[in-house]
Amino acid sequence: MTTVTGETALPGNGVLGQPLDSREDPQLLRGEATYVADIDLPGTAHMAILGSPVAHAKILSIETKAAEQLPGVLKVATAADFTDVMPLPCIWIPGGVESHFPPHPYGLPGARPVLTGDTVRHVGDPIAVVVAETPRQATAALAAIAVEYEPLPVVTRADEALAEGAPQLHEAVPGNLNAYWTCGDKDRTDAAIAEAEVTVELDLVNQRTINSPIEPRGAVGDYNAATGEYTLYASTQGPHNHRFLLSALVLGIPFNKLRVVAPTVGGSFGTKGYLYPDMALVLLLSKALGRPVKWVDTRTGLMNSTVQGRDHRQHVTLAGTRDGRITAVRCTSYANLGAYPSTIGPGVATALMGRSISGMYDIDAAFCEVYAAFTNTVSLGAQRGSGRAEAAFLMERLVDRYSSEIGMDPAAVRRKNLVPKEKFPYDNGLGWTYDSGNYQLNFDRALELSGYADMPARKAEARTRGKRLGVGLATYVAICGVGPSTRMSKEGMLGGTWESANIRVHPTGEVTVTVGSASTGQSHGTVFAQVAADELGIDPAQVQVYEGDTLKAPYGQGTYGSRSYSMAAPAVALTARKLKAKLVRAGAVFLGIPEDKVVYAGGKVYEEGNEENTKTFAELAMAMWYGWGLPPEIEPALDETTHFDPPDFNYPFGSHVAVVEIDELTGETEVVAYTAVDDAGNIGNPKVVLGQIEGSIVHGLGQALMEAAEYDENGLLVSSDLNHYALPRAADVPFFDLDKTVTPSPHNPLGAKGAGEIATVPPAAAVVNAVVDALSDLGVRHIDMPLTPEKVWRRLRGESQ
Amino acid sequence: MNVNGRPEQFSAQPNELLVERLRDGLGLTGTKVGCDTGQCGSCVVQLDGRSVKSCLILTVSAAGSEVATIEGVTTPGGELNGLQEALRQEHGTQCGFCTPGMVMALGELVDNTAGGEAPTEPEIREWLTGNLCRCTGYHSVVRGVQRACAAARAEAPAGSTAVGQEV
Ligand code: FES
Ligand code: FES
Repeated sequence: MTTVTGETALPGNGVLGQPLDSREDPQLLRGEATYVADIDLPGTAHMAILGSPVAHAKILSIETKAAEQLPGVLKVATAADFTDVMPLPCIWIPGGVESHFPPHPYGLPGARPVLTGDTVRHVGDPIAVVVAETPRQATAALAAIAVEYEPLPVVTRADEALAEGAPQLHEAVPGNLNAYWTCGDKDRTDAAIAEAEVTVELDLVNQRTINSPIEPRGAVGDYNAATGEYTLYASTQGPHNHRFLLSALVLGIPFNKLRVVAPTVGGSFGTKGYLYPDMALVLLLSKALGRPVKWVDTRTGLMNSTVQGRDHRQHVTLAGTRDGRITAVRCTSYANLGAYPSTIGPGVATALMGRSISGMYDIDAAFCEVYAAFTNTVSLGAQRGSGRAEAAFLMERLVDRYSSEIGMDPAAVRRKNLVPKEKFPYDNGLGWTYDSGNYQLNFDRALELSGYADMPARKAEARTRGKRLGVGLATYVAICGVGPSTRMSKEGMLGGTWESANIRVHPTGEVTVTVGSASTGQSHGTVFAQVAADELGIDPAQVQVYEGDTLKAPYGQGTYGSRSYSMAAPAVALTARKLKAKLVRAGAVFLGIPEDKVVYAGGKVYEEGNEENTKTFAELAMAMWYGWGLPPEIEPALDETTHFDPPDFNYPFGSHVAVVEIDELTGETEVVAYTAVDDAGNIGNPKVVLGQIEGSIVHGLGQALMEAAEYDENGLLVSSDLNHYALPRAADVPFFDLDKTVTPSPHNPLGAKGAGEIATVPPAAAVVNAVVDALSDLGVRHIDMPLTPEKVWRRLRGESQ
Repeated sequence: MNVNGRPEQFSAQPNELLVERLRDGLGLTGTKVGCDTGQCGSCVVQLDGRSVKSCLILTVSAAGSEVATIEGVTTPGGELNGLQEALRQEHGTQCGFCTPGMVMALGELVDNTAGGEAPTEPEIREWLTGNLCRCTGYHSVVRGVQRACAAARAEAPAGSTAVGQEV
């Protein structure tokens, strides 16, 4: 990757912004990292979960006696064993909470109990657990539990769940409507659409997808009867958050007696930030049995229990002038929340999607309404690029539809409507205020790098080979850096969303950084060390980073929404600045000069104009540890903490170009070239970010081409293993052409914007736009994802959708 | 069977999978389990020099074989082999869960190139189709293999270059 604009102007020793090798990699490459399945505490018993085989039914009876008699079985438990345990809270209530003292989300309508006792609402809904000496014994005993069901009618689509006479999921939620949520200006938008020279409309299905981290989830509970302390080891991306949810809200145990540890986590992409029944169950059962209890999911179990993503059915409208000026955009969406509200699923389906629909465009009137409904499917949650990908998809499909309607080049239409550089900060009228951007520069670079001007010639050449070549553009803005806590309360998030960092300088000059964030593969140990080393002017090798253990690290919400580098890393930088300020004050004492003559630079303090009078970082560390001769206003030791709550979100953005070739005979779509120019502000480690961008694009291509969670009419998840749920493989993608622009965010001291998942946001739109482009002369105006060969082949033969 | 060059003797249930024996029986947890269906490749080990998915092999059917796992590739905390080093330089791993399986599956490909032709990019991608990675998008892995193959060829003794190849 090269940089088009080099606005990077960071203080420090230049370590930040360098593509340092990831220090985590060698251990991972040797297979020496410990994931939750690798944890083997002495005396561990193993838990297996009985999930419902039917999508909707009353439970008439559960008979566990036979299972209890089986070899190795230690305990069989059902809902009746946990009547004093609260349901799993949903902490994102669409609509906002305007109080300093938010309600505890106990017993929210529809909340999921740790085990279901009366009515099951999706296949996989946990009904009972077995704990046994070995995993095999536990699994075998599940088959001996006899459950009698009385089937109930099933609904798996949001729009159908809201229709008159639909099956009802929760007594407390008549009509299955969890939330009706809007943003933007309805009247203004309706008027603009009514008066417009041109309007275009689309009915879109943003299909349900499954994140599928390669490591399934797992949890180990360990209760210490002597101290009354609980430890949970879990594949989690938010150990502190899970500690809060479990102790304060679900189990009612003292916050300070629960420790949550995230060992190495094998990918997450949003799914491992949610609270699941198993996390509570291993703790409860460990206490009941007096032994550690371990549970590791299977792939099929993951598919039927871990939150799924996307799943909107939308009617969308765009209005504009004949000469290509977009005047309004409107979206009505039916979002499928699944059977229970997940930890923050309702927020993903509403605010994260709706407030983003106008993308990089300067549009006068915009409005989005979301009907969030319960259905007999797995709960909805985050999915790499969540909400923002759904928004980009509808907007970028609309822009192409509009371009073809007015007979203008889609690039020209986009360029004409991009928010101009002078308009930042830019209020998008839907609730977000974009911090900074240079959209024209970014977009033009993508056109240039992709060779957009040469596409007509390439199309003609492809036809001589029996291929139809199509080109698709997509741009996006991704809200990241969640978030400013007060702002998040207005979105209905029940929790502080700030991040912390602590830096401790040891007498020997080595440095320990601890952060509340928790990596799921993003090389935090490398990057946060770079941040601290850069600020302090020391060698990154001197810095060790710890995270992921609530006992060792300060509070933080964890890793989600691409927030670690724009939330936790700024906390590290600000903490380092506190240390520097203290060293300047102490330096005056040690150097025997007034404070305003002390310079801190290059990892030492010295006298301005007299560099001979100096103390190195190591000398200072030792002196501060001794604490000899310090005046009373300077405390000994170097140990500082920062809690970083930014003034507002940050908004990375970018422009992608997909080039596809469709085989006329088979309908197969091949992505033959892909260009992405993303802007994540100042970047800490380009090597690490490059990997995340590449992975993100492939994830987005997966949704366009092959991924779909399909439920049959009985609510059975048909695509419940990797034979039936297709993930992109190495041969499905070419190398990409990547570049970046750099527009620092003013909302954090590093000028950082989110990066990890942003490139997942536009690929689905870019690829569908490309395929529609390739088929446009056949009269194809839209085609639903995933673009399977059969679907495309039918369109090639003139069949309608 | 011999595991990483060490003889191991035990009796196994007829339905025990090789991956269970390696992980639970022998404590070799570098081999990972990512799926139930032989699709993800996290569990790849080498059986008599060929890469196989250890979740699809019964322990009893591997009796008498040479099994190599990721633990056999390096010593704890020790030097990385050529492929691992190349993957490190290209950052061909993120969460690392798919990585041991990748290293075991790709080792064969890299070894083959030492005295022969370097694989083309499509060949590398084809070779990788048995291994799923959700983090990296495979690009850094493919670059890593290219780098490892180039290094392997550079180190190969003179005269071992494939016919028709310029030296
Ligand atoms: S665990 Fe063997 S292929 Fe997935
Ligand atoms: S590195 Fe995470 S799955 Fe490959």
